[in-house]
Amino acid sequence: MHINYWQIFKQNRVGIYGLAILFAILIFALCGPVFSPYFPQNTTTLTLDPPSLQHWLGTNDVGQDIFTRLLSGARTSLAVAVGTALLSTLLAVLIGITAALAGGITDRILMRFTDALLTIPVIVVVIMIAAYVRPGVLNLIIILSCLGWPVGARVIRAQAMTLKERYHIYAARVFGGGMLYIMFRHIVPDLLPLLCVSFIQGARRAVFMEAGLAFLGVTNPDMISWGMMLRHALEYCYLDAYKWWLLPTGFALSVTILAFSFLGYSLEEMTDPRLRRREDA
Amino acid sequence: MKKKFSAVLISLFAVMLIAVGCGSSTEKAEKPSTYTVADSTGDWGYPSPYAHYSRGPGYIRMSLIFDTLIWKDQDGYIPALARDWSYNENENSYSFTLNKNVKWHDGEEFDASDVVFTFNYIKDHPYQFVNSSNIKKVAAENNYEVKIYLNEAYAPFLSNIAGTLPILPEHIYKGVENPKEFRGEKALVGTGPYMLVDYSREHGSYLYEANDNYYGGNPAVDKLKFVKVSREMSASALKQGDINAADIPPETVNSLKKSNIKVVKSPYQWNAKLLFNHKSEPFSSKKFRHALAYAIDCERIVDVALRGHGAAAGPEMLPPDSPWHNPGCKQYEYDPGKAQEVLKDLGYEKSAEGIFTKDGKQLQLEMLTWPRFSREAGIIKEQLAKIGIEVDIRSMEAKTVDMQVTNWRFEIALTGHGGLGGDPEILNKMFLGKTFHSSRYYENEQLVDLLQKQLHEMDNKKRKKIVYEVQEIYAEELPALSIYHPAWYWGHDGSLPLFYTKGGVAHGIPLPHNKLCFLK
Repeated sequence: MHINYWQIFKQNRVGIYGLAILFAILIFALCGPVFSPYFPQNTTTLTLDPPSLQHWLGTNDVGQDIFTRLLSGARTSLAVAVGTALLSTLLAVLIGITAALAGGITDRILMRFTDALLTIPVIVVVIMIAAYVRPGVLNLIIILSCLGWPVGARVIRAQAMTLKERYHIYAARVFGGGMLYIMFRHIVPDLLPLLCVSFIQGARRAVFMEAGLAFLGVTNPDMISWGMMLRHALEYCYLDAYKWWLLPTGFALSVTILAFSFLGYSLEEMTDPRLRRREDA
Repeated sequence: MKKKFSAVLISLFAVMLIAVGCGSSTEKAEKPSTYTVADSTGDWGYPSPYAHYSRGPGYIRMSLIFDTLIWKDQDGYIPALARDWSYNENENSYSFTLNKNVKWHDGEEFDASDVVFTFNYIKDHPYQFVNSSNIKKVAAENNYEVKIYLNEAYAPFLSNIAGTLPILPEHIYKGVENPKEFRGEKALVGTGPYMLVDYSREHGSYLYEANDNYYGGNPAVDKLKFVKVSREMSASALKQGDINAADIPPETVNSLKKSNIKVVKSPYQWNAKLLFNHKSEPFSSKKFRHALAYAIDCERIVDVALRGHGAAAGPEMLPPDSPWHNPGCKQYEYDPGKAQEVLKDLGYEKSAEGIFTKDGKQLQLEMLTWPRFSREAGIIKEQLAKIGIEVDIRSMEAKTVDMQVTNWRFEIALTGHGGLGGDPEILNKMFLGKTFHSSRYYENEQLVDLLQKQLHEMDNKKRKKIVYEVQEIYAEELPALSIYHPAWYWGHDGSLPLFYTKGGVAHGIPLPHNKLCFLK
């Protein structure tokens, strides 16, 4: 376990690109108000106005500044991404490691439940739930996490199964270490690279799901989201407005998802020596 | 590595291309004698009287095949199956003299027995747009004279029954037990100017062929087609000549006019409406409803959400261009100060965060709405937030909203309905009716009485007076708040004279597809 991950990561250009893009998006999202004097929710009668010095990307159908909304949309996307990734990874860790350590009937029940969840199409379930709850950012994070953990849980369980056979874990058990102690003291640190991959993949999926759900119009309409912006922009694609409304939004969404993919891809490569070797060859 | 990165760039470019290409191709007119009308929904059901969807465009598609006793053009009633009609006050009946040279599409002769049969048939098999409970009996005086006796005087008879009910062929429908499921060539034998050749539910298309034996004039085109074209694509399809007529977005009107496309603007016959759950607190208080009305700036909603293509509605619901509209009703001019005063009178106090509070509870409202109203809902939320009312918007599919409203499981709901251009019976349907469009408000006895009375008042002047009074009380009671009347535009190539019917087609459908448009 004495591998310098950062050294390996630095050599991976794709990963560096991903990280740089994400960092840029994060800066834009956090410092949104610095770049724009407008409030994203404020409507004006200056509707469907082309880009100008006042409105860099023009205004939308209800006179809101598109650039400001693009920045706010980044916040929503990142918040949902990070929140969902954290929560679903936590759930995956708890369930995956519990199944691996407990074994027997607990393992079987947990894994069959995981299999069952894996077969359910997430988007359909979310649409159904959305009819009953108001899917704002927090609710969305909870819903997406509850449906998104099974992929990670399976991988983590598999890895934890091999880890639990190692001598230092046996030693900890012999000395009376409880399940939670072993989980967080020994197994989780060993799983860290894997958890990073699971986190990034979860984040990428969440950005995509959030935009998709907003595009379908099932999320809270107050939420400023790229998906919702795309949906509204498409309604006016017969006008020139798509150039400064649809395209930048689509571009921002694509770039964010790509950045997460780059990062996930390089992390996976880093943690799996087989992938790395093939790349070097 | 380099290769991989360029592959990623290419995929990024592909994503952008997909985002740009948001259109679908449209069908090309086969020959000039085919007239193609575009529709963004497409399917409106099988065009037989009982099978089409219970919405205006469904009726329009059926009305090309089936005729009614009388019909309407730009100016009012005109003969259809009946060439003459009169009201006999002493016996509360209507006499109709029928056209003699009418034939069903299958060649059978049309006569009074078909009319009698239809009126009796709808007693057992209710027809979706006509309430037959007021019809006492229907008798054929001879082959071409029919008398319809009513239980009570019924002012909207001509528009909502004689001008709406499609007359069915007795020789076909007498054996039909379940007309909703009745399909096939026979189900579509009518007397109308066109006959259906093809209907595709999947494609949302209808193809009609001219009925050259039509008694009311010659069909203007050999073939009439309704196809599905998305609203976004309709303007360019019109310009290219792929279609002859389409519902067009307001923003395209000017550019289309420059390309020699004729544009007809709809009269205001539709309204977006805020329904209040007046059965529960705090909406059961009339004053509270008034406060909301003062706090909502309908003009601004029209300017921003409709970009000026519409008119702010008054609390009386009927649009300003309706002949029944009472311009003297109480108006709730936008006045946030007054709204706050009314709320304070009701015992609400502003909290430190600037939100109205009563008994320790913040004034937080939940607004249900359809995704298509998300813009309007956002503006209303913004306006109410300004005076200290928090609104949570819940956007749901239209059918779900309708269901929640039907069961009174809502606080406020932003929905809408049409029918405002036709007979003022719409007021009864929208104030007292049992559907989700209606405010179902029975608290004010005078309002209920007057609404009943206007239906039975046969003198137009006296009826108008009652309808005026109804609007005044309604505007004061405010069980629901009309927000705006949108303006719709239809673009067409000018080869046929599309027009809006006075009071809407049949019972008030605000579409420029009166079958008379398709006659020479």
